[in-house]
Amino acid sequence: MLFVLLASVNHLAGHQLILFRRAGDLDPANVRFMVAANRWWRNLGGSASVLGALLIVVFGLPALDRAVPVSKQAAASATRHEIAGGVSLIPPVGALISKRTRSDAEEGTALFLIGPARYVVAVSRFEGDLPAASTRLRDKIQNMRGYQVTAGETPVMTASGLSGRAGTFTAPGRVGRYAAYLAPGHLIEVTVTGSESDLRMALERVDESMATIAYGGEQK
Amino acid sequence: MTTAAPSARRWRFSVTPTPRWSRALKSLQLPAFWVLAVVMTICAMRLFDLLSSPFARFPTATMTAIILFALYAVPFWLFISSMDFLEREPPLLLATAFAWGALVATTTAMPGNRALLGLLAKLISPDFAFAWGAAIVSPVIEELLKALGLVMIVLIARKQINSVLDGMVYGALIGLGFQVIENVFYSINAVEAANAGDQVGPVVATFFLRGFLAGLWSHTLFSAMAGAGIAWFLVRTDKSLIVRWLGLLTGLFLAWGIHFIWNSPILMDGMGSGGAGLLLGLLLKGLPALILVMGLLWVARHREASYYIDELRRLQDPMVATARELDTLEHGHLRADARKYGRDRAGKAGKKAVRAMQMAQAHLAVELSRSPDGLAGNDPVLIYSRDQVLAAREKLIQLGHPEAIASPMRPAVPRVVVLGIVAVLLLCALIWLAIQSMNAA
Repeated sequence: MLFVLLASVNHLAGHQLILFRRAGDLDPANVRFMVAANRWWRNLGGSASVLGALLIVVFGLPALDRAVPVSKQAAASATRHEIAGGVSLIPPVGALISKRTRSDAEEGTALFLIGPARYVVAVSRFEGDLPAASTRLRDKIQNMRGYQVTAGETPVMTASGLSGRAGTFTAPGRVGRYAAYLAPGHLIEVTVTGSESDLRMALERVDESMATIAYGGEQK
Repeated sequence: MTTAAPSARRWRFSVTPTPRWSRALKSLQLPAFWVLAVVMTICAMRLFDLLSSPFARFPTATMTAIILFALYAVPFWLFISSMDFLEREPPLLLATAFAWGALVATTTAMPGNRALLGLLAKLISPDFAFAWGAAIVSPVIEELLKALGLVMIVLIARKQINSVLDGMVYGALIGLGFQVIENVFYSINAVEAANAGDQVGPVVATFFLRGFLAGLWSHTLFSAMAGAGIAWFLVRTDKSLIVRWLGLLTGLFLAWGIHFIWNSPILMDGMGSGGAGLLLGLLLKGLPALILVMGLLWVARHREASYYIDELRRLQDPMVATARELDTLEHGHLRADARKYGRDRAGKAGKKAVRAMQMAQAHLAVELSRSPDGLAGNDPVLIYSRDQVLAAREKLIQLGHPEAIASPMRPAVPRVVVLGIVAVLLLCALIWLAIQSMNAA
């Protein structure tokens, strides 16, 4: 990467080419033309270097990332993160924890970025039953402009035994999944949003992470 | 007979004047201009696409974030552009630098950052990526992309980068553009994470967090350092190529280094002891970088100013500039004091006349640097510039305030130092308030 940058900068040095050091016997008009042409080509070379560096960052690195497989060891070594109220999970492999807020010990949220997809887990106090929890999350989604729940809900369960209900929704330019889990005295709301291609790349890792949601005690 | 003052020799390599034949329209003939135009258009569309979804879901919060951080950028922009008083940069080029940071660097950094973070998690461990990812990934990707912006500026207008100060100005503006858009996205993430709909509360919290806790030692500083390195490489043609490469690498490495330190998990939670410890931790991580860049800026400004002032000094014409005016013109705080002194002695017209004189002298100094024969060559542009100075002198004489100098009665401690101390204390108070309001303890 540094090499590409330095290669670009090298085009800016303005060194005289050896060709022109020996061009004293040429017609001055021709020399000017050749110097200008030389500058034009150097400028093109510099621009191509910059463009190449941008393309490496935007397409090359993501392609390399996709090409490198996720090792089971790496996945297993992920640390469990507590959201709030004793609710914790293992983030998706390679996810970036973009934001974590906690209003008190019992309520908090975490936002993970997996590629362009967003994975939000929110924990809040709740005393109702699972259908009420699910309705609350569904209403919250449908109250956002342009968002529409698209299918019926299905029951889901985490590895630690927390039960919940999951569904899907759509919005202009993006789709999403949601799930509401019930823990003692708490509601765990999960939403995943992104474009269809974003979700396709992230969903497997998100599903693995959702399965690790647990309440209280030592979890692995 | 005019002779070069000794200091003129000393600073002669600090500035490579923009040649008279340099024209903005010539950039249209360069491939770099068209590459830049295409890249910027694509990235602007991508940014619009990235912002359209949060705007649809959280219109009030998104608009508040855009407005707040746009306003936040204004004093930064004014400060950065005022650094280059004597030889001002073309506004269109300054805007291009800002746009590269805002449009190109941000949108291209997103996939790059994510990919490199993913690679770190896979190749080393997710825990390592979580702890050190931001410190390793962001400086590598973002500093590269911002530095490429300055390379593009050089490719389309090489002759405008004629001192280290110019590189710092363009670099800082690229960083500022990046910082503004990045903060808008941080605000949107905060709204999303709050999971409470279209609320402005998380935006305001992010504004305090990113604006005051992290704002002063952020991308503007990092990129200014990289800009200094690139400009050093371009301008110091008196040095050997190895030294110039070393200067370039030093600038890039320092930019990367201060970004790495700022993003590193070291002192992330401060020094303990609640808010006071957090404040101390922030200052320990950010202040050395701020002092380093401000120190470099001071040296770069001083060198550039000395170079141009020497052009006027060589004329040895008190109607163009007296010795005391030259001393005043060299320092920003003295120039400001001279305008105030002009107002005290001759009212608003006095202030205006002093400003006009300073601008005319600066313009003449720059034109002198571009003309090898000086006034002896009967260059019409130079003669016009000198006439402007003489007209400004005439105005000053009419107002009974013949010299555009700083007040002889000015306080021993420059007002800028006092204002600086007050600003630092105010900033500490704001940071303290921000920490308290966010319940950091």
